Amino acid sequence: MSQEEIFKALMSVFSEIVPEVDVSAATPQDSLRDLGANSIDRADIITETMEAAGVSLPMVRFADAQSIGDIVRIIDEARS
Amino acid sequence: MQPRAAGIEAINFYGGSAYLDVQTLAEYRGLDNERFANLLMHEKSVALPFEDPVSFAVNAAKPIVDALSQEERDRIEVLITCTESGIDFGKSLSTYVHDYLGLNRGCRLFEVKNACYAGTAGFQNAVNFVLSQVSPGAKGLVVTTDISRFKATEGGEALQEDWSFAEPSGGAGAMAILVSDTPHVFSVDVGANGYYGYEVMDTCRPVPDSEAGNADLSLMSYLDCCEAAYRAYADKVEDVDYAATFDYLSFHTPFGGMVKGAHRTMMRRMCKAKNPAIEADFERRVLPGLSYCQRVGNVFGGTVFLNLLGTIAHGDFSTPKRVGIFSYGSGCCSEFYSGVVTQDSQERVRAMGTGKVLDDRYELSIEQYLRLTKENEVIEFGTRNVELRLDLIPEVLDTVSGTGRLFLKRVNEFHREYEWV
Repeated sequence: MSQEEIFKALMSVFSEIVPEVDVSAATPQDSLRDLGANSIDRADIITETMEAAGVSLPMVRFADAQSIGDIVRIIDEARS
Repeated sequence: MQPRAAGIEAINFYGGSAYLDVQTLAEYRGLDNERFANLLMHEKSVALPFEDPVSFAVNAAKPIVDALSQEERDRIEVLITCTESGIDFGKSLSTYVHDYLGLNRGCRLFEVKNACYAGTAGFQNAVNFVLSQVSPGAKGLVVTTDISRFKATEGGEALQEDWSFAEPSGGAGAMAILVSDTPHVFSVDVGANGYYGYEVMDTCRPVPDSEAGNADLSLMSYLDCCEAAYRAYADKVEDVDYAATFDYLSFHTPFGGMVKGAHRTMMRRMCKAKNPAIEADFERRVLPGLSYCQRVGNVFGGTVFLNLLGTIAHGDFSTPKRVGIFSYGSGCCSEFYSGVVTQDSQERVRAMGTGKVLDDRYELSIEQYLRLTKENEVIEFGTRNVELRLDLIPEVLDTVSGTGRLFLKRVNEFHREYEWV
């Protein structure tokens, strides 16, 4: 799974959890918060993306992630 | 040898005299309403300026103590207050509570702190005192008591200003728990405790009368601990199955949406469950516990017990049932433990009339709430002398007059003086 595929998986999970937001133009520089996900949504999105990528990390590893790209990188690093 | 028994003999909650509809507050603060509904909050109790952690604690414990005979009362040999809303760095709240409850002086008095884990810390301490049999037949009184006089600390680099859930979720309440070797309400599974703690700067009260923190980090740490504490429990107890061993699950409940998220994560990770099975399991095993929490807000150290109280009052206990409990306190420490609840437990809990006491609270308008928030400054931490006005909102005084509750009357050279109304 490439970083691009992890990003796509994350955005697909985002749309399931926050269906009212159109994320077709979202980029890795956006933050989940700015896109309209509250803290519960954000934790769900990270959990489900980790599952899709087949990794299991403590949630606090994502505490400093500022953007979606940061989240993708942390998951990608755990895979390698 | 007789199997050793310990746990909750009696339990009572006091959720204040006034409340605010949090939907009204969310609209006033301009919070996003559509996402707000997912957080499962309805009302929050609001502490009045003449209510403090001592008066809350006494009002929770008095009905329990009044129901005991003098002989039973004299067997209370430890009184532990559990709080993150302390009023003095040295003097324990328990000394005031002991005095106003008129308890026997042959009693240990102290206070414990570890954010919202404090209630569990105090409870386990009392349980172990009973189990140790160093004083056979002795009882312990554990009282969690917390209020949030809301005034968020300004954001900094690590501290977010996104405190949008903190104000609507921050409530006020005290839980009194009588622990003994006759655990009519909740019989603990002795030794079935999984604990997990480590240093994390998630939420805290680093300055008086305020909170600070990082809401995302706190949620993440809560989720990690939920799994780690349960795994520690499962290491100690044979044949545990998250889906089947526990008829009900009680979670520490900052707000309902957080519990729903934690349950969903646990069911996915522990049981490989998917929706709609997760949703059905949530409604069956978890939702009864949210009933009182949704009406009071987060009461910090006592919240996990308020969830347990809701479970006992609203669950089906026609046969004895096992309840799994997850307690979390920022900073952090967490614990998963369990116990058994019976039909008799439910009858005793219902007889305390928690729902009625909550119904009787006065509903504040947003204007009254804002006026109170300002007025709270008169009793900020470190107040040396003040006379409290009980008639600040005359309608509230009308609803509490004659209830026999205790309120703060004055602070005289730092010493707090209370009166029964």
